[in-house]
Amino acid sequence: MISEEIKKKIRGIVGAENALDSDLDRFGYSYDASFVPLLPAKKPDLVVRPATTEEVSKVMAVAYEHAIPVTPRGAATGRTGGSIPLQGGISLSLERMMKIVELDVNNMMVWAEAGVRTIDLYNACAAKGLFYPPDPASWKFSTIGGNVAENAGGMRAVKYGVTSNYVMGLEVVLSDGTVLQTGGKAIKNVTGYNLTSLFTGSEGTLGIVTKVLLRVIPMPKKRGTLQLMFRTLDDGCTAVHRMLQSGLVPAAAEVMDRFCLEAVAKHRKTQHDPAIGACIVIEIDGEDDEALALQTKRMEAVAKECGVYEFRVAQSQQESDELWAIRRGISSAIASILPNRLGEDISVPRDAFPEVVRRIATIAEKHKLTIAVYGHAGDGNIHPSILCDLSKPGEEERVHRAVEDLFDVTLSVGGTLSGEHGIGITKRPYIAKALGESGVKTLGAVKQALDPKGILNPGKIW
Amino acid sequence: MSNHSNDKLLLEAKKIVSQCDRCGTCLPVCPLFEAKNVEASSARGKNVIARALTEGGLEPTPEMLAKVNFCLLCRACVDTCPSKIATDEAMINIRQYLVNKTGAANTKYKAMGGILKSRGMVKLTAKTLALLRKLGLGSVFPHGMVPEEYTRAHFLAAFSGPAALGQKAPPSDVAVTASTRVAYFDGCGMRMMFPEAAAETLKLLKAGTQPMVKDNVCCGLPHLAHGLRDEFLELARKNISIYEDADVVVCDCASCGGTLKHIASYFANDPHWKDRAAAFSRKVMDLTEYLAKVGYTPRQKVDAIFTYHDPCHLGRGQGIKKQPRDLLRAAGKFVEMKEADVCCGGAGSFHMDYPDIASTILDKKRANIEKTGAAIVVTGCPGCLIQLAKAAKASGGKFKAMHISQVI
Ligand SMILES: Cc1cc2nc3c(=O)[nH]c(=O)nc-3n(C[C@H](O)[C@H](O)[C@H](O)COP(=O)(O)OP(=O)(O)OC[C@H]3O[C@@H](n4cnc5c(N)ncnc54)[C@H](O)[C@@H]3O)c2cc1C
Ligand code: SF4
Ligand code: SF4
Repeated sequence: MISEEIKKKIRGIVGAENALDSDLDRFGYSYDASFVPLLPAKKPDLVVRPATTEEVSKVMAVAYEHAIPVTPRGAATGRTGGSIPLQGGISLSLERMMKIVELDVNNMMVWAEAGVRTIDLYNACAAKGLFYPPDPASWKFSTIGGNVAENAGGMRAVKYGVTSNYVMGLEVVLSDGTVLQTGGKAIKNVTGYNLTSLFTGSEGTLGIVTKVLLRVIPMPKKRGTLQLMFRTLDDGCTAVHRMLQSGLVPAAAEVMDRFCLEAVAKHRKTQHDPAIGACIVIEIDGEDDEALALQTKRMEAVAKECGVYEFRVAQSQQESDELWAIRRGISSAIASILPNRLGEDISVPRDAFPEVVRRIATIAEKHKLTIAVYGHAGDGNIHPSILCDLSKPGEEERVHRAVEDLFDVTLSVGGTLSGEHGIGITKRPYIAKALGESGVKTLGAVKQALDPKGILNPGKIW
Repeated sequence: MSNHSNDKLLLEAKKIVSQCDRCGTCLPVCPLFEAKNVEASSARGKNVIARALTEGGLEPTPEMLAKVNFCLLCRACVDTCPSKIATDEAMINIRQYLVNKTGAANTKYKAMGGILKSRGMVKLTAKTLALLRKLGLGSVFPHGMVPEEYTRAHFLAAFSGPAALGQKAPPSDVAVTASTRVAYFDGCGMRMMFPEAAAETLKLLKAGTQPMVKDNVCCGLPHLAHGLRDEFLELARKNISIYEDADVVVCDCASCGGTLKHIASYFANDPHWKDRAAAFSRKVMDLTEYLAKVGYTPRQKVDAIFTYHDPCHLGRGQGIKKQPRDLLRAAGKFVEMKEADVCCGGAGSFHMDYPDIASTILDKKRANIEKTGAAIVVTGCPGCLIQLAKAAKASGGKFKAMHISQVI
């Protein structure tokens, strides 16, 4: 509980209308887009919505003084429970910090406040011919601060990398209210530890990101979309690997298994051709139409070598929008099949992709569950979705064991628990297995140094 | 609440909201979330509150009724949601549930619902308005909302040069067979606030047929939206009976049309009314939908620039977007505005409950209209027309707001 006196102090900092404590307003900040159960609700005691770095700093100073837990929050689209205020206290929502502070066209860099939506940043850059590539499927509604805190990936990672590949510097408010600036516009920078990297992906446990300095690149002039159907997932993955090995880098290469395709067909009331076992949607980009045509031709040749069943080039913007809409809507299409869906986010060395998918099928069989698989074929990030009905007796236990098996398989091929969604609450129990004792100890030492009172997003990661 | 036990309402809402996986896709499209960006005002926020209520995690309270009342029922969220969660339906169910449960039926809404229900009272426009004002409801139906200058005669005088007036468009050549019985649905909003426009609608209909004018009652949307479901059903049954002898029922109000088209679903489990309701809903048509079907061409082409605002209940509600635009293109110059389908903030009585939020939303709409350089913003719903008329006033005469029947 936060005393009235402290609330009054905080209201004095952010204004009464930005420190909410009614029951339902607090409830609104108790969940995110993960499958962490909604109830019992983990309501914060106070929702605080600062508008400036100075306000964040002052609020943190108060929280530090009184050892009040603080959970930073962007748009709560996280998939692992990161913004859920497990221990109550303050939900610190950055949603009002929505300014793009500086768009430096010469240096091709942009300073943005944490609450800027990813799509707004993308559009602001695009208006100047610049391209901010990381595109989590949630880019229309997630915040850039949340993207940095989770080191979000996206479909374009195979060619352009993930959020951290673009973060040049940060403004961070530390647990005691100190304002720290890391990195900067200098491209080469080895002065001291790389704190920018440390805070990127720290899931709000080390500091509050208030501003982000991102580098951007020139916007590709042309884009195209290809749809490749294969009889088996193995064929499809082989095709993508061969493309990459021969220097043909797709801007995105998204794979969906048979189950996903059937779900999409059902969702869209169409028929699925049973001969097709996997679909890969590819984005290509380049200087002009000729460049695209050449890439398409070479990709088609590789795909044919790998026994492609159907090779389609989207003929219009509308057609390619439709293909990507299908891909983006896939989690909903499969979710509508059974009452509950538990989406995972494992990441494996690229060549292990088909092997892991085969072993996922074995796990599904063993635990009598349905597991749909889709993911980023280009970078080895797989999203297996366990479809289940948790109201059935024994189902939860079986799901639990299936997840354990899944992580074992992942780690055994040299993979990792999370490619882009982070650890949050949902993957916490498995972290020691993934990082080992020394790994966890080192994380603990960093945490202790930066957040000695343990008030920042307690209960997450470990 | 005889036939609608509260448990059933809750169950219906639960079926909807339990499918929401809290993904947040709907966050950027909800006009209310944009105006007041606190989670509980978003579609996701309201759905999750509803879900917690249905699962026993939250208590029914007046605060909750306020939260679920804070919804325009504009369906922008439904449109964008990957799972097509019907937030609007869930909100209607939860409102009804909370009204029943807490006895908190807004006396305000009850009074308004009562007035709209009684055909006699609605007819006495002046008296009704006086009564509404007395009840503090004047702002829903501001008097003088459509001053003289917005009438068709003035519009023509102002915008059509003599040449344009001379070249009258040829009459529609689509034969509406003598046996097609076309009836007009005289909605409360049109009747009370825009009688001029309603008269134009009738004229348009008369150009091709002999429309039947009925003594219909309110479509019931205000009742349905605010927890007066029994009244809604009663009105629906009356309308179904009244129009039994018509083949087509034409509406010039998007909200009435949308509601009437949905009546069938509210009687799906009622053996007595099921078939009659379904037959009724099938024959309801929006005015522009009807005109497009019969191949109507506007009476004249004028030199004015039009832009168009999609009423939520027409664009998203009935999928009618092309027909009005086609008609406007044929009647003058048409310029599309940005975010034409974003709610104007009117939403029935929302703008009187939350005037500040509604005006924030409307300011954005006004800016988008002004950017088109249009002289007239056209729409097909009296609710929107009130808002747009306010916007026109705020723009200092840069544009006027008119019902589509007045310009084609
Ligand atoms: C439909 C859907 C698709 C998705 N697709 C992808 C995808 O393709 N790739 C991907 O990587 N992710 C994806 N996600 C997950 C999610 O959108 C990302 O993790 C996103 O980065 C979260 O941003 P947010 O603003 O919603 O952050 P939140 O969910 O609010 O917070 C996420 C974490 O970051 C912390 N945090 C937030 N803001 C700050 C800040 N300013 N300072 C410090 N810590 C902060 C929070 O405490 C929390 O731990 C998807 C989610 C959904 C619902
Ligand atoms: S119906 Fe409109 S106002 Fe209501 S939640 Fe959906 S988008 Fe928001
Ligand atoms: S209503 Fe739809 S779009 Fe909105 S959070 Fe729920 S599932 Fe997502």
